[in-house]
Amino acid sequence: MALTTAAHPSVRRTRTRPRRVERALRGLRGWSGLLHLGLGVWFLLPLVPLLLWAVADRWSFPASLPQDYGLSGWRGALDQGAASALGRSLLLGLAVAGLAAPAGALAARGLVLGRVPLPGLVGAALLAPIAFPAFAVALGLDVLLIRTGVANLVGVVLLLAVAAIPYTTYTMRVAFGAYDLAYEDEARTLGATRRQVLLRVQLPMLAPALSGAAFLAFLVAWSDYVVTLLIGGGQVVTLPLVVASAASAIGNEAVVATTSLTAVLPPLVLLVLVRLLGRRRAA
Amino acid sequence: MKQRPGAWLVLPALVPVVLVLGAGIGTAVAQSLGLMPLVGVPRLSLDAYRAHGADVLTATRLSLGIALAATALAAIVGLVTALAVVGLLGRRRSGRAVGGLSVLTIPVPHLVGAAVMGLLLADSGVLVRWLGLDSLGGIVGGPLWLAVVLEYAWKESAFIALVVAGTLVTRVSSFDETAALLGAGRWQRLRRVTLPLAQPALIASSALSFVYALGTYEVAFLLGRVFPEPLPVLAYRLFTSVDLTTRPQAAAVAVVTTVLSVSVLLLTLTALRRSPAWR
Repeated sequence: MALTTAAHPSVRRTRTRPRRVERALRGLRGWSGLLHLGLGVWFLLPLVPLLLWAVADRWSFPASLPQDYGLSGWRGALDQGAASALGRSLLLGLAVAGLAAPAGALAARGLVLGRVPLPGLVGAALLAPIAFPAFAVALGLDVLLIRTGVANLVGVVLLLAVAAIPYTTYTMRVAFGAYDLAYEDEARTLGATRRQVLLRVQLPMLAPALSGAAFLAFLVAWSDYVVTLLIGGGQVVTLPLVVASAASAIGNEAVVATTSLTAVLPPLVLLVLVRLLGRRRAA
Repeated sequence: MKQRPGAWLVLPALVPVVLVLGAGIGTAVAQSLGLMPLVGVPRLSLDAYRAHGADVLTATRLSLGIALAATALAAIVGLVTALAVVGLLGRRRSGRAVGGLSVLTIPVPHLVGAAVMGLLLADSGVLVRWLGLDSLGGIVGGPLWLAVVLEYAWKESAFIALVVAGTLVTRVSSFDETAALLGAGRWQRLRRVTLPLAQPALIASSALSFVYALGTYEVAFLLGRVFPEPLPVLAYRLFTSVDLTTRPQAAAVAVVTTVLSVSVLLLTLTALRRSPAWR
């Protein structure tokens, strides 16, 4: 920063204009602590009531903290079927990740190898699900599924896997961009079979990206509400449906908090695991 | 025909995408044009679009307004967060901490985000209790849809920050250093180096956030008011109505939302391709 005093004349000339802003920015350095604090509050504040309500047995208005602490919110969550909903959400997330991550990885490899006809169009088609509102697709598909007699659960999994494919394909395309195909050729030259190349070269090298892609696909399914509601027809009760039913009732704050926490913690744990895996591979 | 080994690799992804989108949107369009009524005889007409014309117009304006306000707020907070994360606001350690906190909100489902905003901002919510007020004047369920806007802004600002910081972190330090060596001041570096580098990622992620806010049902359903309704809420009500003749109208609202969403993304893509920073 001391080098700014040795500025090139032409640079210096253009600098006179925003001198006021320059001064404001210098002032901002003093304010930057406050700015960081503000950002921290912005991201963290909404999660604080969640933690307080989750352990509040009694918290009547207008007290600023709960009067009695306890686990009645968790009992309420169990009564609402949060445990089985948790299991269903996990299975749904795993199923969607298990379909969308390999499909995205294969598609990305196909596109990277450059053997796909009309690669621009195919790439755009694989990103297209982002552009179409999920409720609109679900609304149209629902009628069709009823007429063709496809089971609700199959419809939910299929639609969510399609919704996840843009994310998995994109993640894997980026990963293949940094991946050197020559490693495979070398392994083959050294006498490795195709299977060995897959298990010993491709999968280990792509594991961080694959787990990242699978995590994103899991999140798509885990976070979904409207597709499960519309296509599931009330038969596939996942965690978001339980949270929504608690949140649309009045005076239910403790149960809203405990079911919400149940819906937040598993993906957070997964996120930490995925990051750790990525870091270990990178090291 | 020229043989293309490896082309089949895209099929497991491409076939379901084309089938599901084609069938879903195709059916919605056909339904909205009266070609697939649940009851009655198929007949090509625009009745479904006309039946609630005024409501659809109001809903469109409302949805666009909410999405615009939420995206603007999310873009500002997201950009500042990204600058903090890459250490351009000084205090590198605080910047990284802010980044960690923002990533914390990424796996929170929007529905849970809405429930949590309800706990915080409702008229008997935690914020009112902490501030010692009687009420917050209808942030939740009020005429300005503030809670809905804040929920989208909260979640999407973390998303925008992640995307923008991701593009900045790989390039900004070397560019920033070079510019500093050439004598550029803080403001010049921000305006001439950092912002142009961040711009494509900022625009792309903002467009995705906008489209997401436009097409999401659950947040407005939990935190909004009963009337007027944004597009997805209107569509859902018409779709689940006991009166089966409103199904085509629900499909019409879905088609309108889809057209808006696709147009916004296509416009953004065209604008980005024209910008020099795209390459």
